[in-house]
Amino acid sequence: MPDTSVMIRDTAKKLLDEKRVDLIIGFERGTLPLCSSPCFTRRSEEAERLIWNASCENNLAKYLRRREEKVGIVAKGCDIRSIIGLIKEQQIDREQVFIIGVPCNGMIDRRKIEAKLDGKEILEAEEEDETVILKGRDFTEAIKKEEFLHNSCKTCNHRNPVIYDVLIGDKVEENQGFDEYKEVKEFEAQSADRRWQSFTNEVSKCIRCYACRNACPLCYCQECFVDSSQPQWIGKTTNLSDTSIFHIVRAFHTAGRCVDCGACERACPMGIDIRKLTKKIEKDVKELFHYEAGVSLEDIPPLATFNPDDPQEFIK
Amino acid sequence: MKNLYLPLAMRAEKIVIETEDKNIKTFSLSFLNKEDGSSFNYLPGQFAQLSVLGKGEAPFGIASSPTQPGELEFTVNKVGVVTVALHNLEEGEIIGIRGPLGSCFPIEAFEGKNIVIIGGGFAFTTLHSLIRYILYQENRSRFGNVIVIYGARSPGLLLYKDELKQWEARPDLDLHLTVDKADDGWRGKVGVVPNVIKEVAPSSENAYAIVCGPPIMIKFTLPVLRDLGFLPERIVLSLEMKMKCGIGMCGRCNIGNKYVCKEGPIFTLAHLNELSGEY
Amino acid sequence: MKEMKIAKNEVVSFLDSLIREYKVFAPVKRDSFVVFQEIHSGSEALLDYANSKKPPKEIFFPQSEVMFAYSLHGEGLGIEEPAFEEKPRVIFGIRPCDARSLVILDDIFNSEMYKDVYYIDKREKTLVIATGCNQPNSTCFCTSLGGGPFSRDGSDLLLVDIGQEYVVQAVTEKGEQFLKKHSEFKDVDEHSLSLMRNVIETAGALIKSKVETEEIKEKLDRMFDDPFWDLVHEKCLGCAICTYLCPTCHCFDIADEATDHRGKRIRIWDSCAFPMFTLEASGVNPRPTNKERTRQRIMHKFKYFVDNHGMAACVGCGRCIKECPVNLDIRAVLNSILNR
Repeated sequence: MPDTSVMIRDTAKKLLDEKRVDLIIGFERGTLPLCSSPCFTRRSEEAERLIWNASCENNLAKYLRRREEKVGIVAKGCDIRSIIGLIKEQQIDREQVFIIGVPCNGMIDRRKIEAKLDGKEILEAEEEDETVILKGRDFTEAIKKEEFLHNSCKTCNHRNPVIYDVLIGDKVEENQGFDEYKEVKEFEAQSADRRWQSFTNEVSKCIRCYACRNACPLCYCQECFVDSSQPQWIGKTTNLSDTSIFHIVRAFHTAGRCVDCGACERACPMGIDIRKLTKKIEKDVKELFHYEAGVSLEDIPPLATFNPDDPQEFIK
Repeated sequence: MKNLYLPLAMRAEKIVIETEDKNIKTFSLSFLNKEDGSSFNYLPGQFAQLSVLGKGEAPFGIASSPTQPGELEFTVNKVGVVTVALHNLEEGEIIGIRGPLGSCFPIEAFEGKNIVIIGGGFAFTTLHSLIRYILYQENRSRFGNVIVIYGARSPGLLLYKDELKQWEARPDLDLHLTVDKADDGWRGKVGVVPNVIKEVAPSSENAYAIVCGPPIMIKFTLPVLRDLGFLPERIVLSLEMKMKCGIGMCGRCNIGNKYVCKEGPIFTLAHLNELSGEY
Repeated sequence: MKEMKIAKNEVVSFLDSLIREYKVFAPVKRDSFVVFQEIHSGSEALLDYANSKKPPKEIFFPQSEVMFAYSLHGEGLGIEEPAFEEKPRVIFGIRPCDARSLVILDDIFNSEMYKDVYYIDKREKTLVIATGCNQPNSTCFCTSLGGGPFSRDGSDLLLVDIGQEYVVQAVTEKGEQFLKKHSEFKDVDEHSLSLMRNVIETAGALIKSKVETEEIKEKLDRMFDDPFWDLVHEKCLGCAICTYLCPTCHCFDIADEATDHRGKRIRIWDSCAFPMFTLEASGVNPRPTNKERTRQRIMHKFKYFVDNHGMAACVGCGRCIKECPVNLDIRAVLNSILNR
């Protein structure tokens, strides 16, 4: 089977040569092992840089808005669901985007591997099918990819692109027979005090860098609520109360829109479990409105509409 | 070591509405502690950070002149959190001040020269300070001819209207007022400031030009001055940028390798031309 | 320069004794990463670590710091400064790159014209004990910026790991006085000194990542309008990770928090990467897009700061490289600039 990277490159070159797109956003090799980086190519020769591997973890849909040109984008299942969200929120036109869909078996979490190596630096990494060979100053270790996937990849049930203009390679098997809300349910089962304790422990690490917000393709407000000064909603210090409100409100702003791509969690330098809340809200939306974000171009997001028989237990 | 971040207390003695849209007010402030007043030594062009405690702090050019001891005047345009809070103050209320900060107009360099002062809109505040300083009895003879060209969008938006009338009557000052759009009562010039400068054609010989105004006015004024023969070293500008600390540490107000709060806000065009294209 | 030694197995008890007299900050393991924190027992300190996640600048320049409390009343304005440090402080185990960043921060907060009391108070009351790097990381490029794995800039004492012991170099007078007062430090023999020299020489060669930074400023002098900036910012998310985790970044915001007529004025880290950083109340923004802001970061660190202080505002610690979510590697940017 031809290499996915080669297939992506060929597709990209063809699209650029034929001028069907002005720009292709994909991934190129990063400057660190197990790391790739978003890449913007506008000419066929540049497309030679495009790669695909288990470190292509960024959600490139972030870069689609506010463009005049026609854009090709290398996207995995979660990224495409974000694109669907952006189309439905009228942030991009379907015709403007050429989706190069890539079926995905999950992306590797570099931090989990670093934690396992307990501080030993990885100097080289080589992917081979199901394993990754890691080399350091005085060690070589082989690890199984599936043991070190990002948390959002472990609960992913849309490994194949929901929509696409071209599909790279063959579809992969979807994750079956697992409960994607297992951790949420465990969390729900705890007492309110325990939950609050656990939540504040997490967000106390927050340095308010807003990488989570900036990495999210669906956070695109001209003026984010944290920056508003008239009125000012939250303080700018790392006071726990303000930080907690930031995370809580941001989670609520994603209700019915978040596709759980995990970009927020991956971007966070402090390793905060940002999906703790968003996954719970996603579950609530599913239960209350029977809606899953980013799987259909036609259905209307539940917070953008109402139904006479929407649940209303909160009205007593 | 003095803590440069602590504001001194001032009382808003008098608050006067300057413009017909009520968006600009002039505040006369006095120090609660008289000693603070005697150590607040400033020159025209400098600014101070005014605090409405609880709301925030912002930089304002000092509109009064050091030749009038006792009170400091600031003219404030209502546009954001701090300025809205200032506008909501009543006479007698207390605010904080830190200053004087920044560089002043190069008064020594102006001595013996003709002075051409060009102002637009509400950027006229520090020019007001400079003009009062120059016109002050003991100072006037240090300087040559003084021409002032000041314009606003409409007559109601001119600042310091009463004082302008007094200045019009003075023989030792050549004042030209202009508006973009006149009203029924207006008897002065009509036209944008750059055009009025062309008309007045002040001589650049042995002269300095000082320009304060909105970016668009400056953009069209500089070529006119160049054509009149003013060299970049003889054109003085006052820049504005968002500021927080006012003492060159928070990093916000830098233009190239200069800080507007520290090396500025007063710069000559020659200085600015050396800096990168950021301004 | 005075040199002494301390046995590794005595460091914990040494720190315990310090804690009785000083406020001691040391690298501590928190979850899966390392931070500098006040320790209450010597065993909390991590002796063997690469570098901390957040830079130790926060020990001198905290992320949130109360500048003063105030109360407004009819007769005036009451201002209350925060309590300044009472106990002397020691920061132990800081890396030479981070120690060097203090020299850069000193230039800003302790300039001739203006002095920042909050920073200076902490800085003057802190003894800096740095630990050199026997095994630099692949992302370290300190030697390209005038530093090195055993650079002494910014520290009072420098520890060199020679196996069972550390050789301690007294860098400043303050450091030398400190050595005299603590009996854990013993006289050092020639054998240990030669081991030390060996370690230092080897480590320098272990820094693989190099950027020819001497010519960067000259290039940048002419590059303000270069189309280079149109592309380099494209993948940047505009978050504050690189600025907050950078040991030399010092930009801050000032905010008032109040209830009725009492309140506090607080300063907090801010980032030139945020669009609001230069946004004026009128709505005008001199740096309206990511392009201008990315250009500003690079120009400030490698040209403007050099213009004003003679050194780049970067110590080559590599944190921005490791933590950037989109792998915008500053070394790659600098190399691209060199190749223009």
